[in-house]
Amino acid sequence: MNLIAVAILAPLSATLLIMLLRKQPAGLALLGAAIGLFGSLGLLANTFNGLSEEIILPGLPGMPLRLVATPLTALLSTLVAVVCTLVMVYAVGYMKNDKEKVRFFATLLLFAAAMQTLVLAGDWILLLSAWELIGLSSYLLIGFWYRKPGVKSAATRAFLVTRSADLGLYVAVFILIANAGSSDIATTLNTSGGPAIAAGILLLVAAMGKSAQTPLHDWLQRAMAGPTPVSALLHSATLVAAGAILLIRTAPMLPPETLLVIGIVGGVTTVVTGLIALGESDLKRMLAASTSSQYGLMLIAVGAGVPMAALLHLIAHAAIKSSLFLGAGVFQHSRDSTMLKQLQGVGRNHPKIFFGFALAALALAGIPPLSGFFSKDAIIAAALSSDHIVVLLPFALAGTLLTGGYMARALQILWQKNGTSQPVSGLAWMGAGLGGLVLLAVILGAAFPGLEALLEPVLNIRLTESNITQFIPEILGLSAALGGLLLGWFIPVKRLLGPLLPWTNRGFAIAGGFDNLMVRPALAIAHRCEKLERFLYESVLATGRLGLKLGQLVRRNDDQGIDGFIFSFVRGTINLGAKARTLQSGLIHKELAISTVASALLLVFMFITLLVY
Amino acid sequence: MERDLTLLIPEIIILLTVVFALVAEMLRLPRIALTVCIFGLLLATVQTLPMLGADTSVFGGTFRIDTLSVWAKLILLPATVLSLLLARAELAGTDREGTVYVLVCLVSLASVLLAGVGDTMVLVLGILLSGLGSFALVAYPRNDFATEAAMKFFVFASVTTSVMIFGLSYWFGGSGSTLLSELSRLESSPSVAVIGLMAVIIGLGYKASLVPFHFWAPDAYEGAPVSIAAYLSVVPKIGAILAFAQVVRDIPMITNWPLIIAVVAVLTMTYGYLAALVQRNVVRLLAYSSVAQAGYFLLGVVAVGASPLALQSLIVFSAAYAAMNLGAFAMVMLIGRTIETFKGVGREKPLLAVAMVIFLLSLVGIPPLAGFVGKFLLFGAAIEAGFLWLTVVAILNSVLSLAVYLRIMVPMYQQSSRNGELSTTESTPFITTVWIIALLFTIGIGVSAQLLLGNIN
Repeated sequence: MNLIAVAILAPLSATLLIMLLRKQPAGLALLGAAIGLFGSLGLLANTFNGLSEEIILPGLPGMPLRLVATPLTALLSTLVAVVCTLVMVYAVGYMKNDKEKVRFFATLLLFAAAMQTLVLAGDWILLLSAWELIGLSSYLLIGFWYRKPGVKSAATRAFLVTRSADLGLYVAVFILIANAGSSDIATTLNTSGGPAIAAGILLLVAAMGKSAQTPLHDWLQRAMAGPTPVSALLHSATLVAAGAILLIRTAPMLPPETLLVIGIVGGVTTVVTGLIALGESDLKRMLAASTSSQYGLMLIAVGAGVPMAALLHLIAHAAIKSSLFLGAGVFQHSRDSTMLKQLQGVGRNHPKIFFGFALAALALAGIPPLSGFFSKDAIIAAALSSDHIVVLLPFALAGTLLTGGYMARALQILWQKNGTSQPVSGLAWMGAGLGGLVLLAVILGAAFPGLEALLEPVLNIRLTESNITQFIPEILGLSAALGGLLLGWFIPVKRLLGPLLPWTNRGFAIAGGFDNLMVRPALAIAHRCEKLERFLYESVLATGRLGLKLGQLVRRNDDQGIDGFIFSFVRGTINLGAKARTLQSGLIHKELAISTVASALLLVFMFITLLVY
Repeated sequence: MERDLTLLIPEIIILLTVVFALVAEMLRLPRIALTVCIFGLLLATVQTLPMLGADTSVFGGTFRIDTLSVWAKLILLPATVLSLLLARAELAGTDREGTVYVLVCLVSLASVLLAGVGDTMVLVLGILLSGLGSFALVAYPRNDFATEAAMKFFVFASVTTSVMIFGLSYWFGGSGSTLLSELSRLESSPSVAVIGLMAVIIGLGYKASLVPFHFWAPDAYEGAPVSIAAYLSVVPKIGAILAFAQVVRDIPMITNWPLIIAVVAVLTMTYGYLAALVQRNVVRLLAYSSVAQAGYFLLGVVAVGASPLALQSLIVFSAAYAAMNLGAFAMVMLIGRTIETFKGVGREKPLLAVAMVIFLLSLVGIPPLAGFVGKFLLFGAAIEAGFLWLTVVAILNSVLSLAVYLRIMVPMYQQSSRNGELSTTESTPFITTVWIIALLFTIGIGVSAQLLLGNIN
């Protein structure tokens, strides 16, 4: 039995079964996800033993469709399968009272199958197909509660933004295949020179769309309109990860010029979206902004030439962010809202959930010995070792600082004050899923050295450069994280008091100064950023409107011009036909006369051609 | 002499068949006459098979046994058998039913002769023989319509045939021989060659119902029994077209005959479809459609000598045309003669409707049906012969033809306007057999054209 097929087909066949049977969707979904997980784990175990697997399917002539299990793809497949399974466990509880479980689980599994195909794809054409499939299924999932106001437009927006960026992938794939003469990803990675720069930039565009990088980050926050398990799955470990995975897989090909652009895009994103997260008043939207910010950090690592660091952070982030989302889901059920104001003190009602949430938050901020600490360190070390240390290091540190800031703010709001919560059903399932993910978030760091050893021959880049003192990245990262946490914890307290007593008149000059110097400008920048993105969206919309206008114009032209022409042509043809019939009078002498005249004309024509030629 | 007779065995078998069938008819045994005819024709077909690949002639070059004439027998004789089955279904029990079978066999013999013509006298003989039988067949119902149609047919045939014989005398005078193979002697006297060519165009043009010599066809088809119309639109027409191909092979190029025939082809295709566009009677519509299809055949005739595809394309399209046209006429027999009767057939008799749609789509030339393969080869032959413009006109006409055939297809899937059951003719096993065989060939030739082509060379 081929394990690649198991990893992909198990969720897919579960989808089909759910749609056919329309019964027991949750059980079937769990079963499908679990079997898929075993397939992925088997693949990972095999690659540890040095075995690689490949399936070649007939595709275009000379360009077969390939599925390959290398250490990298097997690891990603396992990551997707693990998160999928745990989120599925959680979803059993979360969707307990929803009437449309069949549609939910079927789509979720379809997404999982598509994502598995994407990470295991060994050729560009299959990857492109899977890329489109996750786009489609994410659209269906974000728009799951399509009757709620705003949900449909959020889904459409997510789809359109990622779709337009996907054009980059299409052109990039075209360039790569045309250049290498093969659609095999491994072969095309030997591309160099101009095509590599162009393809790299275009791949970056595609990755920016899927991984919600500035200026294309807004869709991710709006996509929070979907159910929380969807957010946990799509927006932490899978859909948005596709962009980063694309860049990590193609990293060996990317020339230095492209790497710098990638690093700068990542840096700008991590700061901008970090600020947005800080100013956000909705928990899920804050987490979404934070996702963009963390993917910005990964892009910094890719830009620094150390995709390994990006991969480690991708893995750690997947576990951490899904835990955070799942915790947020419980809070959401508890207070029927995701607004931070409504969620004040909800942590006290659910101390166990809050404990898990807090662990994940600290992991994200980068507190040892949680997993995020190691991966952030790797990124800072990467930035330190890069040729562009001046550009990348400040971005990386700012990103870390902001992470600490908004996570602390969230924890503080969720813990302080008291509020009334309503009982939450399905808590056991949700707790189980959350527990599993938090556990991963905590202990994954221990697995990193092993993963590095496994992947080193594949990514072919050493993680730590020998010329860096061992503890510099740790110290830098930790101080940034702690600074962020402290700021995040204390400043909002001040801000909450602010409306009661104007902060300028208080004695906390330093804190007030911080508030004045950092928070206000940060919020202002955040608002500016929001305005900027509004503007960007307005321009996107305006372009859309222009297109529609043009379309209408063309259609009108069609109606009056081309269609009119066709109609008059048809009418003319029918008239001619009627004329042809009147020739057929039924009077034989007349018909014979016509035949005679026509033959005479033909004879004349013959003699003319005789003379001419 | 013995060799000549051996090579003529199929023709001799048909002749004997006619004699035996006539005897049976005189004894008033129409079923025996039919059986004799069918077995005779099938026997002749089987006897033709060993001659595949032959390229010779008999009786001093007056009759050719070559690719065209052998395949003509292989296509026309089975097509005749199918026509006989249709005729039996339509005319069973009428007075002197057996004469129909006899005449049909005679006309087929004439058509087969025409397809192997090697001498102007055989050409005249074939046209006269085929004409005489056809008049009688059209007049068979003995009502006013049929008689008038037959009369018209007869007058038309007399005028055109006599003009042809007159024109052919120029060729005889110029070359000193009635053999087609001696026509190359006319190289030095092009005006004589041109007058003879005109005579052939008039004579064969009437037989193949090319514009402007087609006037008899719609009336004759409408007046005749539907099965006879089906037969006349297939067998004598293909015979005449193949005779055309045999004749033009030997005409000196100095006359520019391909250009002349190309002009006739354009006239025929365009006029045929334009006139078909306004018909309300399905038989007349199919009559004009068969006029237009003759124009497509001419694409292959134009390319004779210039393209190796020419003969292949003519043969494949002959087979395709025979299958799809017979099938379409069989459907008319089952459903009715006017477009009105086709309304709602799609709901009441879905199988018949699907079959009819397939025949009509094949007539348009939609892949993967037989008509498509045939037209595709014809277009290829014409392009190879340097007649790209003619191909473009033919393709434009195909678009027009879709409009024509849609006039039958669309009503079939509309709400029926009549109350109650479809008043179709009793679906006899004969008609069913015919349309199923025609359907198999319409699809089969389309799918396995490669196989067929391999055998023609």
